[in-house]
Amino acid sequence: MKTLLCFELRKILARRTALFSLAVLLLLSLALSLSTLQSMYAFDGQGREGSGLEAVKIDRELASRYGGVLTDESVSRMLENFRPQYDLHGMNAKYLYQNAVQSSVFARFADLDGNWNGLSVRDVFGAEEIKAGYVNGLLNTGSNLAKLFLALAFVLMFLLAPVFAGEYGGVDGIILSSRYGRTKCAAAKVLAALITVLLVWLLLSGLNLIFAFAVYGTEGLDCSILFAPVEFTEGFIPYNMRCGTLLGWQLLLGLSGALCAAGMALLFSSLCRSSLAAFAISAALYIMPVLLPVSEQSPLYRLLLLLPVYEAQYISLLSAPALNGGLPYALCAVSVSLPLALLLACFAHRIFSARQVS
Amino acid sequence: MELETHALTKRYGSKTAVDRLSLVLSNGVYGLLGANGAGKSTLMRLLCGLQRPSTGQICLDGQDIASLGERYRGLLGYLPQNFAYYPDFTARDFLLYIAALKGIGTGRAGQRASELLEAVGLEKEGRRRIRNLSGGMKQRLGIAQAMLNEPRILILDEPTAGLDPKERVRFRNLISAFSRDRIVILSTHIVSDVENIAEEIIMLKSGQLLHFGRPREITAEIQGKVWECLVPAENAEWYRGILNVSNLRNLDGGLTALRVISEDRPMDKAQPVEPCLEDLYLYYFKGENEK
Repeated sequence: MKTLLCFELRKILARRTALFSLAVLLLLSLALSLSTLQSMYAFDGQGREGSGLEAVKIDRELASRYGGVLTDESVSRMLENFRPQYDLHGMNAKYLYQNAVQSSVFARFADLDGNWNGLSVRDVFGAEEIKAGYVNGLLNTGSNLAKLFLALAFVLMFLLAPVFAGEYGGVDGIILSSRYGRTKCAAAKVLAALITVLLVWLLLSGLNLIFAFAVYGTEGLDCSILFAPVEFTEGFIPYNMRCGTLLGWQLLLGLSGALCAAGMALLFSSLCRSSLAAFAISAALYIMPVLLPVSEQSPLYRLLLLLPVYEAQYISLLSAPALNGGLPYALCAVSVSLPLALLLACFAHRIFSARQVS
Repeated sequence: MELETHALTKRYGSKTAVDRLSLVLSNGVYGLLGANGAGKSTLMRLLCGLQRPSTGQICLDGQDIASLGERYRGLLGYLPQNFAYYPDFTARDFLLYIAALKGIGTGRAGQRASELLEAVGLEKEGRRRIRNLSGGMKQRLGIAQAMLNEPRILILDEPTAGLDPKERVRFRNLISAFSRDRIVILSTHIVSDVENIAEEIIMLKSGQLLHFGRPREITAEIQGKVWECLVPAENAEWYRGILNVSNLRNLDGGLTALRVISEDRPMDKAQPVEPCLEDLYLYYFKGENEK
């Protein structure tokens, strides 16, 4: 079984097209990480400014200065220190960006002119304790991962579409007439596909996290995602969560969504004679839910959120109202996706094992 | 060991590919002959358990092969007619992969792969990627994979397709040496290959059994129906058009010797000759492939 598994893994990963698609995915990941870093800007309000790594440095210094549990006093201090020094000409101070700390505080506690809007920390965030810190970089990493997990699903479907369909080009007769062709081989194929998902997911997540921790640091992991710059206030997750918890959920959802996409690819691979057809059908079905005209208020939307494409997009799913007991609704998606992935893989195994070669 | 088919039938929609075929095969080499669409490949796939019969049964020593499952497949070696490879694998890796599918341990697999690469004349190509092998080399690799597990039942569909004469001789010798105490079934369009290797011939037409027996026995049916005629060379083509000519040989003196298959003496000076398997094939299948 071990030898078969190694061969099946090799068949999936050693193809030129597979290596090319993995290279494209990793390049996309690198490009997103670097472009995000390069587009970062920070001005500390006292004449020091920079972009890229310098901006991160400034932001992290400011976060350490103003970080900790958010209080009315610290909010007042931040508003005072980052008050606009010039006429905004009617521009809303909420959208004025000097640095991550300033943007976070202005987005919630400033009026049009940058003065205190009269809201207390309790008014904005309720009774929960909000720990402020540098979360900008990690949240941007999360945004990048959402794009990458979507690309990951397509790459995995492309990698796995030939697992069974690739054999139907003429090797199936040899495989299925061999001793273990209908049993261990089919199982090795499914197992190799699942290992491939895990490996590629680990590689992609690992590289992004290593980059994020190296550049943005790890101190933000323990901070609340609610005290984040203006770009994360609208349409972002509306309840308190640690940045580390958010990333953890996102990685889990990315994995379960990827496994589900892999299950779909395996099923259609076992059904179609052509790898391309298997890829096209599974990719179309994967993306279809986001194209459906279903509003967020519709009860159907809650069901659609359980599908793998929304797991890759994590925000809609984590924004859904929590279940009884305060557990995120995303838990449902994970508990649907993982058994579904296994079920689809088992169907693929059965279809291949029972195949009649013509 | 006895492999039997009982009223074996395979239908694809309204088309019957194999029609109530009953055979008993014991150790020996069997040549499967028939025109395209006669049901040879379907019969082979049925024997390999790759297709389920519409009706009828295949039994090995009295047990239905469907119920034997892995135990039956463990005895099989199969070379399909049209098959693909993994172009990125080397020839040796391909054999090791198939050996793993056949449940051969790693050490033994390596040894068998080396032996068979040598047996089919690919010992120097073991490290080459399959994409770089010629058609004939790939065919030989296919033969090697079928023999990896020293199968008790070896089924080869068109094994000599794409092989040059030297390789065909090598193949015949390989099969002859291998076939002791085994059932070997092979189909080919090259009748001379079957004639040289096969102890018994299974002749199929439209899925039905036409003949089953030793070559000499079944060619006896057309005894007295094969003739040799000498005709002027310039008329040879004309005769070929109107007679069932199995061979045409130019002689000195502007004459051509025609080997003609005909119920009656085709011309006055025609001499009856000993029929061969090719004559029998043409007797039944002349014009089949043109249909």
